[in-house]
Amino acid sequence: MTNIEKLNKVFCEVFSADETALNENFNKCNVEGWDSVRQLSLTTAVEDEFDIMLDAEDILEFTSYDNAKKVLAKYEIEL
Amino acid sequence: MFLDLDKKDRNKIAVIDDSGSSVTYGQICDFTDEFARQLPYRTLIFILSENRIGSLLGYTAALSNRVVPLIISASTEEGLYAHLLEVYKPEYLWMPNQIAERKGLEPIFSAWDYSLVKTGYPMVSMFENLSLLLPTSGSTGSPKLVRHSYRNIEANADNVRRLFELDGTEKAMAILPMHYTMGLSVIASHLFAGSTLLLSGRSLLDKGFWSMLKEATSFTGVPYSYEILTKMRFTRMDLPNLKVITQGGGRLTEEMFKMLAHYAHDKGKKFIATYGQSECTARMAYLPAELALEKTCSIGFAEPGGQLSIVDENGHETFEGEAQGEMVYRGENVTLGYANSQEDLLKGDENQGVMHTGDLARRDTDGCYFIVGRLKRFLKIYGLRIGLDEVERMIKTEFNTDCYCKGDDEKLIVLVTDAKLKDILPTFIEEKTHLFHQRIEVQVVKEILRNEAGKVINQ
Repeated sequence: MTNIEKLNKVFCEVFSADETALNENFNKCNVEGWDSVRQLSLTTAVEDEFDIMLDAEDILEFTSYDNAKKVLAKYEIEL
Repeated sequence: MFLDLDKKDRNKIAVIDDSGSSVTYGQICDFTDEFARQLPYRTLIFILSENRIGSLLGYTAALSNRVVPLIISASTEEGLYAHLLEVYKPEYLWMPNQIAERKGLEPIFSAWDYSLVKTGYPMVSMFENLSLLLPTSGSTGSPKLVRHSYRNIEANADNVRRLFELDGTEKAMAILPMHYTMGLSVIASHLFAGSTLLLSGRSLLDKGFWSMLKEATSFTGVPYSYEILTKMRFTRMDLPNLKVITQGGGRLTEEMFKMLAHYAHDKGKKFIATYGQSECTARMAYLPAELALEKTCSIGFAEPGGQLSIVDENGHETFEGEAQGEMVYRGENVTLGYANSQEDLLKGDENQGVMHTGDLARRDTDGCYFIVGRLKRFLKIYGLRIGLDEVERMIKTEFNTDCYCKGDDEKLIVLVTDAKLKDILPTFIEEKTHLFHQRIEVQVVKEILRNEAGKVINQ
């Protein structure tokens, strides 16, 4: 699996979403139910999937699909 | 006036919310008068709550003016909301402007982004001491409500004020939802003490929450709040104003309990674990901070105005010494009883100050209580109470299938015989109960086996 496939899989599982919905509009404001439970499940799954440990401030940044990509770039994960 | 709000310093800030707006105790009193001009008599109102000033002012005004609110989340699932309206027929609604607009409702009065709407239902007669209605802390699609008296709320507020030694210098982080008994307890107790509330509807993973927390002198959370705080490594943060961290709404793991106790001890803060139920206006027991290191996972003793006991399997009740059995609570915060229909709002005090908690507890030689299990069939996940019978009923009604629910405070497990439901059920249950679908496991079984008494024997 490529890195982007891994990331998409995590998002789809956490939000019960279809992969086609993952775009620049997939964010905290637009996606119903994006609460702390969701966000923490998301970041925990990303940590497991990519074998990284996110800093606290990066967990706070996980508020959209695009931001997730930006955060991963900081951890030198190429998408 | 409710909670003696008119006896506080008029110029003191009572509430600050996420928008940065604030209200003083004087403004709360003025708003109460304004509200009375719009709604000058006793009747039933629904408050669709969010953790912000408009919502809180509706609560303080209703209680002060002897209008009885049912407080429910503004994001209550549509089906349940419609059902509650139909069952209780409130004469008024106090709701965010946005929701009133979306529903095409014409407000008769608006303030602080909230609207007062008349439903067209007639005035509702209710028992004279009935003050407030709350859902039974969960959200399992049930219209069952807890009936509170005026004395219940003040007794709880006073008990909490005494056990936390609250005064006007506190700035309490109020992040638990207002429609949730513990969230409301944080609000009522700090208003009663004349403190300042930092009222937030934000997620604990929102930057705004963390900047607010830096100002706070106390934080009240459920076990899941502390999972998030730990993940954010808050123990390493510089939070010099924070004096007290307190927990309720379910059991902490042993590991988490010890971690919080050590953190508080090392940093000169207080960690106070508490226990409560919505049937007893939130708080019932607490473990004094100085015992936190020694009595891991204990809920301690009854709060100042209450009394705990244990009824063992022989029906023998004891108040001291080692014992195990159902925990019973007595106190002025024991609510009046439940309501399942509008007629029930006329009912008087059915509990008479005694509550059989349905929790199994152990009491040690020092008189400290420990919760060891549960008699009633419900789970508590993320502070949400998930009634297993209610979930089963929902599934049976919707899908006309046999099913059985079990689980622990980590996960809800649903046994079904119809394999087609495996993928549908988590989403369905989440919609109805707001329980995150990844905490729901559906197992397909050939048959749900019951013994002669009808008890399910699948394991």
